[in-house]
Amino acid sequence: MSNERKPLPIVEVLNLRKRYRSTEALRGISFSIGKGEIVGFLGPNGAGKSTTLRILSGLVAADSGEAKVCGVDLAEEEGEVREHIGYLAENNPLPEDFRVIEYLKYRASLKGLKGSRKRERIKSVLEICDLERQISEKRIGNLSKGFRQRVGIADSLLAEPRLIILDEPTIGLDPRQSAITRKMMERLRGEVSFILSSHILSEVEACCDRMIILSHGQIVAEGTLLELQKKFIQSVAFEIVSKAKKIELQRSVRRIDPQCELLQDDPVEITGRRRFTFNCTKGQETVELILRTLLESNNFEISEFQVCRPDLETIFLKATKQNWQEMDLLGRGKNKIFKPQN
Amino acid sequence: MRFELFALFVSPATYVASFYFLALLGVGFRFFIESFVLTDWILPPLASLVVGLIFGAPALIPFLTMRSFAEERRLGTLETLMSAPVSNLGIVLGKWTASYLFFIFITIASFCFPLIISLWFPEQSHSLGFDRVEQWIGTLIFLLIFGASFSAVGIFASSVTNNQMVAGMLTFTLLTLYLSVMMFYFGENIDSQFTNGPTQVVWSCLGAVFGGLNKMQYFSVGIIDIPTVLYQFVVTFYFLILASTQIDQVKK
Repeated sequence: MSNERKPLPIVEVLNLRKRYRSTEALRGISFSIGKGEIVGFLGPNGAGKSTTLRILSGLVAADSGEAKVCGVDLAEEEGEVREHIGYLAENNPLPEDFRVIEYLKYRASLKGLKGSRKRERIKSVLEICDLERQISEKRIGNLSKGFRQRVGIADSLLAEPRLIILDEPTIGLDPRQSAITRKMMERLRGEVSFILSSHILSEVEACCDRMIILSHGQIVAEGTLLELQKKFIQSVAFEIVSKAKKIELQRSVRRIDPQCELLQDDPVEITGRRRFTFNCTKGQETVELILRTLLESNNFEISEFQVCRPDLETIFLKATKQNWQEMDLLGRGKNKIFKPQN
Repeated sequence: MRFELFALFVSPATYVASFYFLALLGVGFRFFIESFVLTDWILPPLASLVVGLIFGAPALIPFLTMRSFAEERRLGTLETLMSAPVSNLGIVLGKWTASYLFFIFITIASFCFPLIISLWFPEQSHSLGFDRVEQWIGTLIFLLIFGASFSAVGIFASSVTNNQMVAGMLTFTLLTLYLSVMMFYFGENIDSQFTNGPTQVVWSCLGAVFGGLNKMQYFSVGIIDIPTVLYQFVVTFYFLILASTQIDQVKK
């Protein structure tokens, strides 16, 4: 048995449940987030993402279950937990009458920052969020959505929290402003843990270490992109650019994996090279074996070989599809009970 | 609290309300002073200012408090505020203190009217009793304790809705109702109506709250009635706790 101590997770959630009247928003979810991790929270609308984030921020109380932030139980020491958290709410509501600098000073005071530390932190977050002097003197009501979002992020960073919760931080932002937000997260990677809830899958794919996919208040998938790819996409698609004849190439490939299917073949150049797309159900190792065999035979003049990795969107749809079907069946079952008998 | 005060100072509605309130109070006070000898008013003339402020409060207090929680709820900034390491009661107290300080500011501004008379017309001021410090202190304390409970009612009304207008109307209604009940019991000795055990305790408590205006006669001559002060504190605390509970409901 190893004596090595595991670092305490920043977030520990165990069997968390929440119900809003007749709707069960969370059905006993459990997960943990380590120090410095950037975790993406994904899920269709109404999946329970915002509810989970609001519970972790201390804005909503859970019905049952346990949630700990930095080892502190939310149910017991809600105030202390808030000291460790920076929270950017969905739609980022801000008071419009205030200048950026005034607002940050006010928020810093609320978060217990005083004197030189308060000044230092405000200066630091203005720099991190690229809110130069001219912007900091402007009224929040006169700022563009991108700058308002940066003010919200600056606020969440003020008290040097150990966990930052960003609920849809890049919604409505242009690609440049989204990139700035990602850059800010990259800058803090390793120091601060992030929970990022977003519908923009490419963004989550680009900056998150791990993803948690929720559907109907349940976690339907959890892991790194590679783990999710392995879990949900059993077949591997690969592309070969070659001068070989279709039938010969197909025969050679099928000698290794008889189920390997040719999905597509397109001409790529006038030189006669073609791009062949295959689908292998036996996984990455078989694909590697196919490549080695084709290269060794020297008959195929392979100029390009590429494994097509399924993107997060494909994984997301696969992960949530099963849950949707299950819930749909449950729903139908319920309806049957209440159907009037003729 | 500073943020809340700032919010009040940047709101044009507060300025407009304060200006008209002080202007009307000033005009009323002038006419009262002029016709004082012709009236059968038994209290010191300074008490007229108290009456003006107390009965004008249902019109003034909504402008000071309606924005506090209703606007935060409408904009969604209450959520941001609640994500900071501050307790609900702390938030409620901050907002109440700000509106109360503004009420104190208006009270002090209204006391400038008799002060001006004292400085410019010392003889008349002497005959009106404006040179008696105890009257100034008594009336000021009376206004401060009632201002505290009125502001608390306004803060509570603002916490139950996300519409400023509804919050304002609710404050007006609650304060008018509170003043009407106090007026109803004005001049009556409620405590002596029921003499048996627990009923008497309940009625003496209610009597002290509802009969608050009765005590104006003590305060206006400089006698501080401690139970009245305490009961208004209880009313203030009660409405602030209600507001805090109401904010807590947002979490459910």
